[in-house]
Amino acid sequence: MKTLVAGTVPVDKFPYYVGTPSFEGKNLVLGQKVLPIGMGTLSLYSATYLTIAHLKGEPPTLMTVGDVGKADGSRILYQKIAEEIEELKPNVLTLHYVMPIITLVRALALKLQKINPKPIVVADAGFMYAFKASKMGHVCNIFTPDPGEMAFLADKDAVHPAYIERHLFEIDSTSVESLIEKVKDVEGLPKMLVVKGAIDYIVLDGKILFKIDDPMVPYLEPIGGTGDTLTGILTGLIAHGLPLEKAAYYACKINRIAGQLSNPTPKTRVNEIISNIPKAIDLVLKI
Amino acid sequence: MERGLIVFNHVKEAFKAEKVLKASGFQIELTIPPKDMVKGCDLAISFNLNERLAVERALMENGVQYSDIVDVVKVSTKPLDIVKKVDYGDTIMFRCGSMKITIDKRDGIILNISGGGCPDVPYLFLQLVGKKIFEAKNPTSIGYSLCAYSLGKAFEEALKFYENSGRWNSSS
Repeated sequence: MKTLVAGTVPVDKFPYYVGTPSFEGKNLVLGQKVLPIGMGTLSLYSATYLTIAHLKGEPPTLMTVGDVGKADGSRILYQKIAEEIEELKPNVLTLHYVMPIITLVRALALKLQKINPKPIVVADAGFMYAFKASKMGHVCNIFTPDPGEMAFLADKDAVHPAYIERHLFEIDSTSVESLIEKVKDVEGLPKMLVVKGAIDYIVLDGKILFKIDDPMVPYLEPIGGTGDTLTGILTGLIAHGLPLEKAAYYACKINRIAGQLSNPTPKTRVNEIISNIPKAIDLVLKI
Repeated sequence: MERGLIVFNHVKEAFKAEKVLKASGFQIELTIPPKDMVKGCDLAISFNLNERLAVERALMENGVQYSDIVDVVKVSTKPLDIVKKVDYGDTIMFRCGSMKITIDKRDGIILNISGGGCPDVPYLFLQLVGKKIFEAKNPTSIGYSLCAYSLGKAFEEALKFYENSGRWNSSS
């Protein structure tokens, strides 16, 4: 399957790039530029790449551009995805860091709806915020929120997690299941949610299919990028051909075990966890 | 729905703000303020709410006076400012919205930043992780988005915690 990962990188004025980067230790090489695999789009891409490579699939394509929060690169990215999606023809499209801009994501959503066959769309981070705020999340197949972002999804009028109702923030991490119940009534969300947290939840049409809490690795939450790796592994497993529910279940398991293999502390960097993904795949899928 | 509104005391200030913000590349529109804020001859500026921090900074740097910034839909709603914490023993995590910052209790070093979805989050990670919280810049002074705003709230609580822990004088 063809896989496309799209999201910004935190480098001011970094030029638009589409292609398959190579790995150089803890870095990715994009054309002539070398970027560290910190948290964010490059962590997600690396997790996808390693998952697909380990399962002997076609390497994923990365589409990226620099943006440190000024939204300049984000505007380019929205435009480039819409322009190039039909030529790239991905079967799986995962959308990640971007400045949420409702008018632009709405245009992208309309474009995605017209494509035949439409790719499986996974949205995380800023793209998830944008799709939710525009009430166009139903164009996506999966969102991957954490408990704080679940409160955002459950607040039908909120346009960003910083604007959620206070009572929803009060309950978010202690009662994810009540937020899952509330989300049922919110329009414009995808059918499947993969809620990442101390307990991971796979939710389909408002019903909890799986709760995953084993192995319990409490130090994963403070480590920047562990949500990105989960979405990256999920993307790789979907590209391998697993049904979405199975891919989601195994992605949660693999991410936890990759974390456990790293003996993490709150100081651990996500690239230590990424390097353990192939071994974790073997342990979970019994390859 | 995603629009924020800058409300001014004087129309002239709105014109000045329009010039500054357009020159800085923001996509803005002159508009009428919300019904309950209209005073008579008023002009407001609507902008992408996710760019709030950057807009506020551009106005401040250019000496533009304004009376308020409001969410067009929820006029009375302010961004979330509640911060939760998770104690891991030697380390502690502070969370506001989806943004989290973890520090070492002993020396105040910022160990990790996680959560969020705006493009400045990985940028803030690179700028702040590894620095001592009492020496680091507040995320709101170098970030641009609502994620930076939330991280700023968590950062302020983390700094307050460290300063009140009694380690401030010995390590600063």
